[in-house]
Amino acid sequence: MSIFQFSDTPTVRHQVQALVGAIRVDGTDVRVHKTSPGCFMATVDACPEPLYAVAHGDVIHVHLKGRAWKIERVDPTRSTATAVAAGAGASHAPMPGVVVSLLVSSGQCVRQGDALLVIESMKMQMTISASINGEVAELPLLVGQTFQRGDVLVRVQAMSEAAPLQAAQAIPSEADNEVANPDTRTSARREGSMT
Amino acid sequence: MTTIDKLFIANRAEIALRIVRTAQRLGIATVVPWHRQDRFGPALAQADQAVEVFGEPPVAAWLDIPGMVRMALESGCDAIHPGYGFLSENAHFARAVAQAGLTFVGPPASVIELMGDKITARRFAVENGVPVTPSADEADDPSTFAQRAHALGFPLLIKGAAGGGGKGMQIVRHEEGLTQAITLARAESQRYFGDGRLFAERFVERPRHIEVQVLGDTHGHVIHLGERECSIQRRFQKLIEESPAPALPTGLRERICDAAVRLAAAAGYINAGTVECIVAPDGEYFFLEMNTRLQVEHPVTEMVTGLDLVELQLRVAQGEALPIRQEDVRFSGHAIECRILAEDADAGFVPDTGKVLLLRTPSGPGVRFDCGVTEGAPVTADFDSMLAKLVVHGADRALAISRMRGALAETVMLGVTINNDFLARVVNHPAFARGETDTGFLERHQAQLAPVNPSLAECQAILAAAASACPDMAATRIPEPHAAMGAWRN
Repeated sequence: MSIFQFSDTPTVRHQVQALVGAIRVDGTDVRVHKTSPGCFMATVDACPEPLYAVAHGDVIHVHLKGRAWKIERVDPTRSTATAVAAGAGASHAPMPGVVVSLLVSSGQCVRQGDALLVIESMKMQMTISASINGEVAELPLLVGQTFQRGDVLVRVQAMSEAAPLQAAQAIPSEADNEVANPDTRTSARREGSMT
Repeated sequence: MTTIDKLFIANRAEIALRIVRTAQRLGIATVVPWHRQDRFGPALAQADQAVEVFGEPPVAAWLDIPGMVRMALESGCDAIHPGYGFLSENAHFARAVAQAGLTFVGPPASVIELMGDKITARRFAVENGVPVTPSADEADDPSTFAQRAHALGFPLLIKGAAGGGGKGMQIVRHEEGLTQAITLARAESQRYFGDGRLFAERFVERPRHIEVQVLGDTHGHVIHLGERECSIQRRFQKLIEESPAPALPTGLRERICDAAVRLAAAAGYINAGTVECIVAPDGEYFFLEMNTRLQVEHPVTEMVTGLDLVELQLRVAQGEALPIRQEDVRFSGHAIECRILAEDADAGFVPDTGKVLLLRTPSGPGVRFDCGVTEGAPVTADFDSMLAKLVVHGADRALAISRMRGALAETVMLGVTINNDFLARVVNHPAFARGETDTGFLERHQAQLAPVNPSLAECQAILAAAASACPDMAATRIPEPHAAMGAWRN
């Protein structure tokens, strides 16, 4: 028995069990067979459909009807609590890219909404702004330096508190209304954005 | 007449492969550059020779004029094809290539200078009776630029004089936004092009982006190969292109194509180029700019004309006369191109990176897939996010759309998020089928273009396939007697 989840809906977990010739998904047996490397046939809503799937570590990429899905395999023996605690004060890069300019320096006091740095990935530029008042506790990258998704871009430590808080996050402007944390503010500047 | 025996391709990915194929068919040997960060490029295996280039960031190697010329000389090439992007519209490069005694597969440096700069090109268009949108050029008098921009009326477009690809462009809808837009456009233009000169023009609402493929030779012939419509754009970057343009009245099409030929002829244009226009809903058209190179979307023209544009480029570069006259150009059917990009279209077109773990390319009648990656290739932020171009052809637009739909579903590229499903939703949209396309299409239909949730059966099939792809899951399969309690058996 393994626990799988769609990476875009990590709160919903699925119990998946391999039987001989079938996979039991949340109690339903799905008949699936491999036709060639990476290609599988399954009956979906009474229609035979080809699926493509490839595992990369604990992430499995699946293609069905022209659409790709990212499935994560959750190892119940490994707790994610440690990772979450370690990352609590960090502002992670939403995608890989390069630092275009640093607008503040380490140790500088910033106010909520202040622009901290500008990053670029492929053809998109974003300004990372402070979501809280505080002091720039960490600014690990130099101008021109590249970073990978998930790397810490900047960390602002709240003035009044000893513990660093999640300070800033970069997201595209279109997604502003989807921000779950009301403290997180971002301004994304793109080519042609209506300003 | 010069003869090209060995061609250096100062490019990478799908366009390098595409040029290699035509050159080899013509008996021309090919050399392509490769970089440690780009060693999975599809052209490397196909080209006759590959030379390693160095640079950090890697694109610096492809922007290094002396470096590219030196490698072409050292590898014994007698010509350079710049492809698109990188140095393709750089007059200094064209000049350096010529000065090194090599043939540049493109127009002469002087023509690139004239037509490659938006401001001089527009001025040239006006002089030759090709309409342009009302505009203000900062260089005329920097102190009154904001005032003159304001006088054009809103909405306005502020852009870099040396710009392209949507970089440094700002739309201003109200006068309050003008000052800020000028500041932003100048900063971006300075950073991307090292030139902060600005330019303001009237922004045409609901414009169609129509462009004309032109070809000139060294014997004074200039012809056009019809138009392409490239109105489906996001962030001013083309996503879907087609030929012919749907819903363009015949008279207007002829006027635009004739104007493009007139402009190219007046400029002494040699080789392949594209005259870009915007067409307002009332049929008024305005010259936008000229691209003095092969375009990304040139395959749609190849599909409807049956011509090989790279072959024509190479023949013209060798000094041959164009093998066809305008009246010999025949247009057949309809072609559509979709750009397959490494991006999450549903998360605001955010670029994605990863690794191509599994690649299955679409095929079938009328399907062409110009692929820039191979299985195992890392997709990084070092290069452009375009991974492939899917081009289809059909006897009419409805057939082309239907083939595109099938081919997009057949495009499997696992390991990096690509936009094929989003593209499928666009081509399936009823307004697209009706040809109601303009550059605001994606924004206007955003809600209807959102993905739908998969059905329960689809979710179960996806999870079952995921489990089947896990090597260790098979090892833990429950043995036969227990499996027999399932709803079916082998």
